[in-house]
Amino acid sequence: MLRKLTPYFFVAPLMISIAVFTYIPILSSLNLSVREWNFLSPDMPFVGLRNYEQLLASHDFWNSLWVTTVFAVLSVPLRLGLALVIASYLTRETLHSRLLRGALFLPSVTSAVSIAVVFSWIFSTDYGMVNALFAAVGIGKVHWLQDPFLALWVLIFVNTWKQLGYDIVIYIAGLQAIPGELYDAASVDGGRRLHVFRRVTLPLVMPTTYFLLVISVIEAFQVFTIVNVMTRGGPAGATDMLVNQLYEIGFVLFDIGRGSALAVILFVLLVALAILKSRIIGRKVHYEA
Amino acid sequence: MKRDNPFLVGLAAIAGLLFLSPVLYSIWISFQTADAYYTGGTAFTLDNYGRAIGQYDFARYLLNSLFVSGMVTLLGISFATMAAYAFARFSFRGGNLLFGATIATLMIPSHISLIPNYLSLAKVGLLDTYAGLILPAISNGFAAFFLRQYIRGIPKSLDEAAYMDGARPLTVLWRIIVPLSRPAIASMALYIFMTEWNSYIWPLVAVGDKDLYTLQVGLARLYRINPGEGLVDWPLVMAASTITILPVLLGFLLVERHLVRGITMGAVK
Repeated sequence: MLRKLTPYFFVAPLMISIAVFTYIPILSSLNLSVREWNFLSPDMPFVGLRNYEQLLASHDFWNSLWVTTVFAVLSVPLRLGLALVIASYLTRETLHSRLLRGALFLPSVTSAVSIAVVFSWIFSTDYGMVNALFAAVGIGKVHWLQDPFLALWVLIFVNTWKQLGYDIVIYIAGLQAIPGELYDAASVDGGRRLHVFRRVTLPLVMPTTYFLLVISVIEAFQVFTIVNVMTRGGPAGATDMLVNQLYEIGFVLFDIGRGSALAVILFVLLVALAILKSRIIGRKVHYEA
Repeated sequence: MKRDNPFLVGLAAIAGLLFLSPVLYSIWISFQTADAYYTGGTAFTLDNYGRAIGQYDFARYLLNSLFVSGMVTLLGISFATMAAYAFARFSFRGGNLLFGATIATLMIPSHISLIPNYLSLAKVGLLDTYAGLILPAISNGFAAFFLRQYIRGIPKSLDEAAYMDGARPLTVLWRIIVPLSRPAIASMALYIFMTEWNSYIWPLVAVGDKDLYTLQVGLARLYRINPGEGLVDWPLVMAASTITILPVLLGFLLVERHLVRGITMGAVK
C-alpha cells in the first residue's frame, strides 16, 4: 500500500509549487479581472466585464498592442534569419567556430538589466559610443532614445544582440542533426550552395525553426526588462509594450482589476498564437519519420 | 579538436571581441576616474567599485542575489529531480496527467501569475522577505522534463538489482539515479541559477525594502536615480553593472559546455 503512494510523494513538492504559483494564479487572474480593487479598499465588488470594456476603449491598450506586435514582427524574423545564416557557417567543431559561438552566446546568459544599462550608455546622446563614432565621420548628434521611431529600433537591436547567440546555438544543434549523406546527395546532383541551402537545409531545420519561432514570439510579447530600464515605455508611448502596461497599471496605479484583465487578454492572445501557429506550420514540421 | 586555420581563429577572435565590445568597453570605463572619463583621458582607479560596494550597498545586493539564486537552485533542482524520477520510473494513476501539467507550464506565459502571486504573498505576509523572492521561482517544469528524459536513458536493471538487495525507492534515487544523472543535473542547476540570477520583474515588484534588493533591482535603481542625460555617473554605474554580470560571466567560462548542452538538448530531440 505504501509502495503505491511512493511516486506521489516524489512528485508532490513540484506539483504543489506548480499548482500554487502557476495554475491557481491563472484562475485567480480571471477572477480578479471581473472585480474592482485598488489593494486598499476592504472589499472587491464584482463589476462584470467593465475592466475589459475600459481597456478596449483606451488608447494606451491599443497602442501597446500595436507597439508589441510591431516589435515582434520586426525582431523575430530578424533574429531567426541572422541566426540561421550565421549558424550554417559555425556547424563544425573547430576552434574558430567554437570561439565565435561562445562570444555570440555570452549575451544570452548575461543580465538583461546590465545589458540595458550598457546600451543606454552606448546610445546616449552626449556620451554614447555610437554618437562618438558618428561624430568621427561627421554625422551630428542623434537622439536615439528620445526619438519615437529610433527608440523602438534601438530596443529591437538590443534584444536581437542579446538573444541571437541562443538562436544560433539551437540552430547549430538542429543543423548538426541533419545527416551528411543528404548534403552529399544534393551536391552530387550538382546543387549549388544556395540551392542546397534552400532545398535541403531549410526544410530539414524546420522543426528547429518552429521551436524558435514559438518561443521567440512568446518572448517578444513579454519583453519587459529592457523597456523598463531603457525607455520606461517612452518617448510618448512609442515603446510602451504590453507587459510594461501591465506593470504600470498593476504595480504603479495599483488597479488590480484592470491589470488582471490585461494579463488575461495577453494570456489568451499568446495561447491563441501558439495554437494558430501549430495549425499553420504543424504539417510542415515533422519531416523525419 | 581538429587542427584549425590560424587565420580563421584570428578572424573569429576579432569578430567575437567586436560583437562583445559594448560590454567590454563598459568594463574598461568602470576602472576609469570620472574626471578622466568626462575629459576623454585615461586614469585607472578602483574607486568606482569602492563606492558601488560601500556607499551604494552593492555588497549587500550581491549577497542577496547569491542567497536567493542559491536557494532557488537548491530547491528547484531537488523538486525537479524527485518528480523526474517518479515520472521516469513509476507508472501511477494520474501520472500522465501530472506530467502533462508539468510540460504545459513551458507554454504558459509567466506574466499571468504576476499580480496573483503578489496578492497571495501579501496575504500571508511574505512580501519583502527572502521567502517571497524564492518561493514563486522554485517550480521548474523544463528541468523536470529534461531530467525525466535523461533518467529514462539509465538502464532499469540497475534499479531492479538494488531492489533485489532490499533498497527503497529513495535509496535508489539517491544512490543510483542521482550519481548517474550528475551531468544532466549540473546542466539544469546551472540553468536555473542563471535564470534566477538574471530575473528582474518579480524581485522588482515583490520587494520594496532596499535591504532585500537583488543586484538586478539595485542596478536598475542606481541607473534610474539620476535619469537626466549627462547627470549619470557612468563609471560608477558601469562598476555596478560589472559586479552584476561578473559571477555569471565567470561561471559561463568555466562550464560553457555543460550549459550549452543543457539548453540544446531541451530544444532538439
